Amino acid sequence: MTAARPLPTLLVIPTGIGCELGGYAGDGLPAARLLAAASGCLITHPNVMNGAALYWSDPRIHYVEGSALDRFAAGAIALRPVRRQRVGLLLDAGIEEELRWRHLQVADGCRASLGLEIGPVLTTDEPLAVTLSQGASGASWGELGRPDALLRAGQQLKAAGATAIAVVARFPDDPGSEALAAYRSGAGVDALAGAEAVVSHLLSRELGLPCAHAPALSPLPLDPALDPRAAGEELGYTFLACVLVGLSRAPDLLPWPPAEPLAAADPALLRPEAIGAVVAPAGALGGAAVLACAERGIPLIAVDNPSVLAVSAEALGLEVLPAASYAEAAGHLLALREGIAPAALQRPLARLLLKPGHTESH
Amino acid sequence: MSVAAARLRPLTLQLVRQPGPLLAQIEAALAPHGVPLRWAITAVEPGAAAVLTLEAVVLA
Repeated sequence: MTAARPLPTLLVIPTGIGCELGGYAGDGLPAARLLAAASGCLITHPNVMNGAALYWSDPRIHYVEGSALDRFAAGAIALRPVRRQRVGLLLDAGIEEELRWRHLQVADGCRASLGLEIGPVLTTDEPLAVTLSQGASGASWGELGRPDALLRAGQQLKAAGATAIAVVARFPDDPGSEALAAYRSGAGVDALAGAEAVVSHLLSRELGLPCAHAPALSPLPLDPALDPRAAGEELGYTFLACVLVGLSRAPDLLPWPPAEPLAAADPALLRPEAIGAVVAPAGALGGAAVLACAERGIPLIAVDNPSVLAVSAEALGLEVLPAASYAEAAGHLLALREGIAPAALQRPLARLLLKPGHTESH
Repeated sequence: MSVAAARLRPLTLQLVRQPGPLLAQIEAALAPHGVPLRWAITAVEPGAAAVLTLEAVVLA
């Protein structure tokens, strides 16, 4: 184990673009665990960590919703680790009674078996009316017919003492669609992911609380050819357990710089100035968090992880440390954490040259 | 933002890249359409002045 102090690192695997690794049901988790071990402190988003019924809890990994991650990268918020959150549960009025009971029982199971603090529970005053769409790029997007109903319910939960919010929206079932068949066979984009991000971004942005989303869907018929990366979503009736676990220790979001000096120094506080590296797929570098880090001069590790996008470092004129795999990215992080210049690990190692107009001196 | 007035709108934009930091150019391109909720550069057409395609959802 390295003796060097942790290197706070952002791991971004964008939602709904079909990343080969991390584009399915929490299949970015092994990479996140590895990068957390290498960096000692990893900040990543629900798409990486959520495996429906599967999850992993690691005190070195900070679960931060995507829009909050963007704000952290931009220096607009800091993250304050907490022992536990009180997770309010926000259910879409469009969820049928039986499916609603399944979600309530998952929440009860997490209280009884994992010791999480969950509640209050609230149903929206109108169905949220989620619709799915796809951009020209192939990335999944989506909309919400009643964002006002979502925000009203979120504000009521916050007023009732929730310090984090798990939201469950009824998503359209489409068991016969080609997109779903491709996803289950490991060859497609997660058609739900774009709309999920819109729901959680809206809530987190407006409330300033940790938020994450689980879709409510009817169970699918058995598919013996199911890709292992999608299997986490077919183990139960809901996608909620991972969200509750992730939010139960998600850090608080603090406006940054603070309006008033902090009462006491908090050594656990994660300040945006402390970000030491960002890791993202090499073909998906055109997102807010990655660009904000790149413009702040934070080392960017671009990992070969194909998706439907081809927005590369070359296309955007960014300087990156390329990595053929997340294992290689972990090596880069260890080098950065130990203060080893990445160039020293590459061959050939170019000779130093004197800049024209300068004289040699000691 | 008024809760009752909240509306989401999908958007696709083309942006000719100018010299200088990119993030500010993107934010300026999205701002007339609403408050960006989620966006990404989804394609880049190379050239002397690269053309970026942005896909976004804004609060309008």
